[in-house]
Amino acid sequence: MLVSSRKCYLSGSDWVINSLDHLMKMTTCSGNMSQIVLMLDSPLDGKNLSSTVNSFAKNFPVLQGRVARDFKLTPYWKIPAACDRDVTLNVSQHTETSTLETFLPLLEQSANSRFADEREHLSFHLFNSSRRSALAMTFDHRLLDARGAELFLNLFQQTLQGKGSFEKTTFTSSMELTRWGEKFLAGRNVNRRIISLSRSIPRSFSLQPGIDKSFKYRLLNFTSDETSAILDRACSESGYLMESPFFLAVITQAIHELFSARSDDGSSYLIPVTTDLRSGQDILNELFFNHVSFLFYQIPVDRCQDMKELISQFKLQMYENVKSGFPRDLAKASLLTRIVPLQTLGRIIRIPMSGKIATFAFSHLGKSLYDSPSFMGGNIDNLFHMPRVPVPPGIGFFTNIYNKRLNLVISYLDKLLSEDEITLLEEGILKRFGVTTDRNRFSQN
Amino acid sequence: MTLQEIEGTLIQGISTIANRDSSEFTPDMPFHELGIDSLGFVEILVFIEKTFKLELIASDLTKKDFETVRTLAASIDRSL
Repeated sequence: MLVSSRKCYLSGSDWVINSLDHLMKMTTCSGNMSQIVLMLDSPLDGKNLSSTVNSFAKNFPVLQGRVARDFKLTPYWKIPAACDRDVTLNVSQHTETSTLETFLPLLEQSANSRFADEREHLSFHLFNSSRRSALAMTFDHRLLDARGAELFLNLFQQTLQGKGSFEKTTFTSSMELTRWGEKFLAGRNVNRRIISLSRSIPRSFSLQPGIDKSFKYRLLNFTSDETSAILDRACSESGYLMESPFFLAVITQAIHELFSARSDDGSSYLIPVTTDLRSGQDILNELFFNHVSFLFYQIPVDRCQDMKELISQFKLQMYENVKSGFPRDLAKASLLTRIVPLQTLGRIIRIPMSGKIATFAFSHLGKSLYDSPSFMGGNIDNLFHMPRVPVPPGIGFFTNIYNKRLNLVISYLDKLLSEDEITLLEEGILKRFGVTTDRNRFSQN
Repeated sequence: MTLQEIEGTLIQGISTIANRDSSEFTPDMPFHELGIDSLGFVEILVFIEKTFKLELIASDLTKKDFETVRTLAASIDRSL
């Protein structure tokens, strides 16, 4: 229910994302942002892209909103009557850039560039070479979650082809100031779970002092044959449709190898995993704001050696999380946090587990919701995400499948790990996926 | 409970989890066409445990058991 076309009340998940944005601005060079990257087989015309994007974006004044509070202290997104400024598009020409390896440093820069002000939440960066191009759509996580951003881009492309209809886009907005009993009951369940998780201090990478830190990225992209082999392995080792527990087990074992060479007194690995609370038609209509919650996995350090046991741990914990209704309880309970100012909420989030919130973050987006093989006439070689990860933990692993090809992006705060460690991590993942380690990790099909 | 009743109950549960109308599902529909991910799949397993008192997460069910709603219903029927 949209209360007003100018006012969209924020959910508890939105408020948590806002507090993470605040935390990231305090500890790194920018906020809680991400970008979708399209690798195209031809250069794009910057002027044409700019005018087409702006003509599409003007239908969504929500893109230029900002956070405010009303007289009942409920935070909301204040939406202007109309878009009064253009979407930023940075275009650059690079003569020697043609492979993903040469595009990646440029994409790292765009992923770390701040928005101009509190009303800018979307920008584009186009890197053209004579034969190829990379287009990054950088977005503010306070306005779009990863799937929402893919759908936004998809709607843009569909509209260009005369197939899209943005009239169906909805905001489910409510103050949610009733049924307090349910929220407090959910809060009790969440509190119990957090107390249980905090009995063991998780291993985590130490953050370096200083705030002007940017994120770095490694991309493992797989051919369709490799993807098929990896998914077959996931099916045989983890079970039908159970690729998430397989990916988690592979990454955890690779991380465990790194920690074996470091001294850390933590006794477990704690992994928050994003989950989408939308399903079916909701996903197609609810483009904006956050519709996510989290599952938490805790794996004792001494249970990481055996892959079969590790997968079984992840499957069991996934089952228990869903059975107990934890993700929905967390979404309900976080509604109670909206009264708390962002600065205070940021501090509260860091209280349990001596501030070591997690070892790493993980999200498996599955099959991309951007379903066109092309973008503005250019064929898409690949589509992947480059998110900035909340700090702590400052490191995350993100998988998606586009056109039957798996991508795994490692996003990490600069200097959190050495380059040798990241390479070791990468090789550990490839080895467990059953993919040869001497392949060119940036290679394009 | 007959096999048809199990199929009907499964379709009701799956359509709720997938937030789609139950008329969109048929017993012969391949599982991978239901548009569910690992988490949605686990939600179906939790639904089966709550409805049929069968804990499938730790069982030896294979990809073949999940080919269609009908094959899953048959596996449940055998276990009941």
